[in-house]
Amino acid sequence: MTAALEVQNLYIALPSEGDRKHAVAAVNFSVGRGEIVCLVGESGSGKSVIAQSVMGLLPKSLPVTEGKILLEGEDITHAPLSRLRELRATRMSMIFQEPMTALNPVMRCGEQIDEVLRAHTTLSESERKKKILAIVEEVALPDPERMFQAFPHQLSGGQRQRIMIAMALVLEPVLLIADEPTTALDVTTQAQILHLISELQRKHGTGVLFITHDFGVVAEIADRVAVLRLGDLVEMGPKEDVLMRPQHDYTKMLIAAVPGIHPKAKARQTNAPIVLQVVGLDKTYGGLGWFSSKRHEVHAAKAVNFTIRKGETLGIVGESGSGKSTVARCVVRLIDPSAGSIDLEGDDLARLSGAKLRALRKRVQIVFQDPYRSLNPRRTVGETIMEGPMNFGLSREEAAKRARSLMEWVRMDPSVLNRYPHQFSGGQRQRISIARALAMEPELLIADEAVSALDVSVQAQVLELLEEIRQRLNLAMLFITHDLRVAAQVCDDIVVMSKGEVVEYGAALEVFSAPKHAYTQSLFAAAPGRDFPFHQSKTAA
Amino acid sequence: MAQQDTSSLSVEAASVRPQQSAWQRMRASGSVRFGAIFLFILIFISVFAPWLGTVDPTLFDAASRDLLPGKFGEIMTLEGEVLKHQFLMGSDSFGRDIYSRVIYGTQVSLLVGLLTALASLALGIVFGLLSGYIRWVDSVVMRVMDGLMAIPSILIAIALVALWRGSITTVIIAITIPEGPRVTRLVRSLVLSIREEPYVEAAIAIGTPTWRIMLFHILPNTVAPLVVQGTYICAAAILVEAILSFLGVGLPPDIPTWGNIMAEGRPQFIQYPHNIFFPGIFLAITVLAVNILGDGLRDTLDPKMAKRL
Repeated sequence: MTAALEVQNLYIALPSEGDRKHAVAAVNFSVGRGEIVCLVGESGSGKSVIAQSVMGLLPKSLPVTEGKILLEGEDITHAPLSRLRELRATRMSMIFQEPMTALNPVMRCGEQIDEVLRAHTTLSESERKKKILAIVEEVALPDPERMFQAFPHQLSGGQRQRIMIAMALVLEPVLLIADEPTTALDVTTQAQILHLISELQRKHGTGVLFITHDFGVVAEIADRVAVLRLGDLVEMGPKEDVLMRPQHDYTKMLIAAVPGIHPKAKARQTNAPIVLQVVGLDKTYGGLGWFSSKRHEVHAAKAVNFTIRKGETLGIVGESGSGKSTVARCVVRLIDPSAGSIDLEGDDLARLSGAKLRALRKRVQIVFQDPYRSLNPRRTVGETIMEGPMNFGLSREEAAKRARSLMEWVRMDPSVLNRYPHQFSGGQRQRISIARALAMEPELLIADEAVSALDVSVQAQVLELLEEIRQRLNLAMLFITHDLRVAAQVCDDIVVMSKGEVVEYGAALEVFSAPKHAYTQSLFAAAPGRDFPFHQSKTAA
Repeated sequence: MAQQDTSSLSVEAASVRPQQSAWQRMRASGSVRFGAIFLFILIFISVFAPWLGTVDPTLFDAASRDLLPGKFGEIMTLEGEVLKHQFLMGSDSFGRDIYSRVIYGTQVSLLVGLLTALASLALGIVFGLLSGYIRWVDSVVMRVMDGLMAIPSILIAIALVALWRGSITTVIIAITIPEGPRVTRLVRSLVLSIREEPYVEAAIAIGTPTWRIMLFHILPNTVAPLVVQGTYICAAAILVEAILSFLGVGLPPDIPTWGNIMAEGRPQFIQYPHNIFFPGIFLAITVLAVNILGDGLRDTLDPKMAKRL
């Protein structure tokens, strides 16, 4: 039996102004029927380009210059559009990362699946409807009849992704391409979707080309793994081989950079002075508008309590909408808490405003998630770092001196201070953001998903930098993250939040080894690849 | 292990990517060049009008009425001297040289276009920044702006001309009153999205005063779309000025503007189309050049907006 997909010696050219000649070069791999092959790589590795080349979705600026793409033995590398149109959805189909935008918001979900059937089959309307309801049921959506009638905005992200999967699999293609299908989802939803994909592909014998950057997901779902680096396929093999006994240095580096899910036991000073004490913090959004008479309130944070001691890191973990960022933003006073106190070494941040608040601002600093939006594109890096100290009366010369020494702290060349943010990579920008925060000499540093947007190898470096800074300055840190692996590596104490409430609060070691609350347990159970012994091979090697 | 990490850190931190600047992209853009060259020619024409073979555009000579383009005729200066003159674009029913009037008309059009754009942008930036950043100002300012936008510029012009008298200032004010609120809306919407950017929040967190945030963090990031908007206002203002003059509620008829020339040529349009043709061509080309320049600037300064429009 021929493989579902075979890619032979594939070259895809980049436009001449690109940073390298080929998006992908000399890539060989195959996806057998009923097999899940994971393409792993960091951003810019060319993994999505490969997926698009198979579907024939590449823009004209990225032509396939060499090699072959065989779908069930048929060469589709340069197939005409009409042939591709016949093959799409019937023999190969694709699901995308963003379930929010991949569905047409003005069409009912049922109609969108129906569109596939109308384009490719001659079934009657009632037969089509029957088929749609069957596939909707198969992707484990409740009440298929209602789902058929629903518009995308009425469904959750996970439900939309299920609709996408239903649409992709309704004609039983031999090949399913999944391009980061769970990256935009919460960890518990991700676990369900991964489970669904592997269950369906086993049942239908579909070959799956699964694209991801997350080694946890790879460990969870893959049969075989291909590792891409800047367009080169550096390593390919069965999952156990690649993850446990990686051969290539790049793979070794990537896997070593994956944070382990078991926290290390650290020596702790239990009598260190308390830097931050949050008591009964409440935040409600909403209220009366000009023209609305009904009061619509959202309780984003309810009675949150925690303390952070000097030199310690408290992590807040939770899924989207859990209120973890709300808490962080209240502590920095970017938003005003509705109730409760935020005691920063004797001063109540929650009650201050105006000039008094401004004077206290330097003591709490924050690093944001998105490295591309957290620096003003119209100001040089130097101006960005110097602004804070100068707001508090430092002279320009002294601020510049501090900026130069901070650049060394965050391991960057001080000579680039006069450059603009667009000249730096994501990891570099995050270092600059850290330097900006440190320039204020804060007592408390808040990292709001500060490493979530970074590639795993860069993430490891930035985490290491944060740890180094925390030790050097004996800082208190509040670390907000959705990533349990990161939390396990960084935090001394853990707060688990769900729907605005703290459901569990304790030492990281205890919370991770014996979670008490049912939600924490389900959260940990959903962490992809949690049982996979990533770092055991390292000790052996 | 630690050693290796340090080296990889510094490698990642050291490389800095070069990128084309907006200025380089602008210079490479065909439409920016085309529009800019045309505008420069027009500015040149308006500045050097007296030396381009023109006579005083207000001179008339009954002997040279309704000459066809290219014909020679006589024209008397204010000093009583009679000049022999080639009427390149013909003459109107008073015996005035249309060529001279069209060339001098360039001054008015460009001035009105430029000053209206600047006035509207200034108004829009001040009120847009305030109402976008300070919540309580917003509801007040924007209701006033809604009101202003509801008044057609032609009605305002008629009212203002009745109150004061037709002049460049009156026309500019009449066009700025409805255009300014549009810029205010644009700036406000830009500010509303920029103020949510993490870099603005970071500026708040490092204790930057509000006025500095507005001037140094928000305003510079609105410049690209504003420059583009400015060109569109400029083009619209040139057109509206011509319309106002044509209707007789713009500049007084003794000042040569393209609208005035066309208005005066209208009764004899069938016999002598050159009265309207030449100012019309100048008007169309000027507006086209400004719009092409605007499109080019939009593509180069504001790539995100280019895809949307």
